[in-house]
Amino acid sequence: MKVWVLSLLIVLIVIGVILASSAFYVLDQTQQAVVLRFGKIVAVETEPGVHFKQPFVDNVVRFDKRILLYDIEPEKIIAADKKTLVIDTYVLWKIKDPEAFIRSLKNVNLALPRIDDVVYSHVRNIFAKANFDEIISEKREDLLKKVTELSREDLKEFGIEVVDVRVKHADLPEENEAAVYERMRAERYSIAAQIRAEGEKEARKIRAEADKTAKVLIAEAQSKAEQIKGTGEASAVKIYAEIFSKDKDFYEFWRTMEVYKSIEGGILLVGDELDALRYLISK
Amino acid sequence: MRKYVWIIIGVILAVYFLTGVYQVGPSEVALLKTFGKFTAVVPSGIHYHLPYPFQSHVKVDVTTVRKIEIGFRSVQRGDRISYESVPGESIMITGDNNLVSVEAVVQYRVKDPVAYAFNITEADSIVRFTTESVLREKVAMRNIDDVLTVGRDEIGLETAKMLQKILDSYDCGIKIENVYLQEVVPPEPVVNAFDDVNNARQNKERLINEARKYANDIVPKAQGQAQEILRQAEAYAQEVYLKALGEAKRFDEILEEYTKAPDITRKRMLLDALQSILEKVQNKIIFVGNAGSLNVLNISDILKEMGK
Repeated sequence: MKVWVLSLLIVLIVIGVILASSAFYVLDQTQQAVVLRFGKIVAVETEPGVHFKQPFVDNVVRFDKRILLYDIEPEKIIAADKKTLVIDTYVLWKIKDPEAFIRSLKNVNLALPRIDDVVYSHVRNIFAKANFDEIISEKREDLLKKVTELSREDLKEFGIEVVDVRVKHADLPEENEAAVYERMRAERYSIAAQIRAEGEKEARKIRAEADKTAKVLIAEAQSKAEQIKGTGEASAVKIYAEIFSKDKDFYEFWRTMEVYKSIEGGILLVGDELDALRYLISK
Repeated sequence: MRKYVWIIIGVILAVYFLTGVYQVGPSEVALLKTFGKFTAVVPSGIHYHLPYPFQSHVKVDVTTVRKIEIGFRSVQRGDRISYESVPGESIMITGDNNLVSVEAVVQYRVKDPVAYAFNITEADSIVRFTTESVLREKVAMRNIDDVLTVGRDEIGLETAKMLQKILDSYDCGIKIENVYLQEVVPPEPVVNAFDDVNNARQNKERLINEARKYANDIVPKAQGQAQEILRQAEAYAQEVYLKALGEAKRFDEILEEYTKAPDITRKRMLLDALQSILEKVQNKIIFVGNAGSLNVLNISDILKEMGK
């Protein structure tokens, strides 16, 4: 073989590769494509693999087939009960119909503002009919379903499928937060005051209970003590009564004498009838 | 000369075909694509496929648990990991219109590498946004006290469940392993007020304990005092009774003697008593005479005179 034969072979291979690469294109599993001929759509390919096109004439525009995420900037909205809140939404979407997509929106960069407009206007419409409390809690799921459906309907003609619209955040605007904090503080301090007062109440109750128990204990003891004393005294009285009945006259005399003996100090005034002094007085 | 050309061509071809060698790590699988179309799942090890543009592969880590932090970020500085909170993410509104700071960690893994690689883009962001969305909904369904205390675990579980449901609806091949709530606390501007409630609880306990201490002191003392009163009463009763008994005995004795000679005993006893009085009383005055003229004798003087 001559050198020129070899060179020709190489040139032919190169030309072949160039021809093949312009006549065939490989579509990835994640892609779909629109084939354009002088700006006109001639084919739409959604299946991965090798596909044929007219060499040098057809232009292949590829789009992602996967779910795309679009994070919409947070916006303030006013709920039905006139409360303002900041809603931060995001959209999961995909290009369902590349032909319609390229016709109406050309590319992803131009599609995003359109998605933004549609979704945001539905969020505003739907959420504005709900109360603040509904937006932030259970009912949100239903509201979002509605937003998703409406957005899906509106964006269908652009070849876009809205997979899901969700609210990442639904928050109070910053200027309202301060008021909420103020209220929370007041609430907590009032709870604290109540707890302290309850403590005081409990403590007083316990003290009063104790005071009562103590007083009752002593009163009961005193009452019982009186009874005991009474019993003792009664026994004594009985004994005295028995003595008394043995010789009433003498007992009286004897007791009187005992009393006399117990007199101490002071001045003694004695009448002259006192028999024992008769010798003294007759003088 | 020609030989060299063939060698060069051979080397070029060899290098070209060698680009088809690839390695799949132990935690990975490779998805083999032939002309862009997915054809096979390849396990870990060294493998070969036809070079570009015939075949290609993507690798997906299927065993490693991935982690997303919500409300905070861990920052690695040298060997140490520190945490920075992200208030914009962590502050959430509760069902009773209070604000609470919730930090959470989501752990997930790829359960279906084919769906993961070919159905979605930005997997991390999708997981993060969906978690934030669900977590906030769950927090908003409870009041603040529940979120701070008993609701914690439930919120984590419910969020994980709901999250999985939503992600499955996207068919993105992601398995949520766990949603762990980390720090769930009152937001910084109201921390003091919340602390005050805790202090108040302590105060309450203290007041009650002090009252109990008082009760524990006063009641036993009163019991003691009651016992004292009772014993004193018993002592008195015994005393009175015994005294009467003694007196009775004594009287019995005297009476016995008395009956033997009543008159003389009587007199003697009278004089005894008189003597006792006279000894113990300092000033003794005797009235003499009738009601009209009252003579007063000072018995001390009389006795003094008598003594002379």
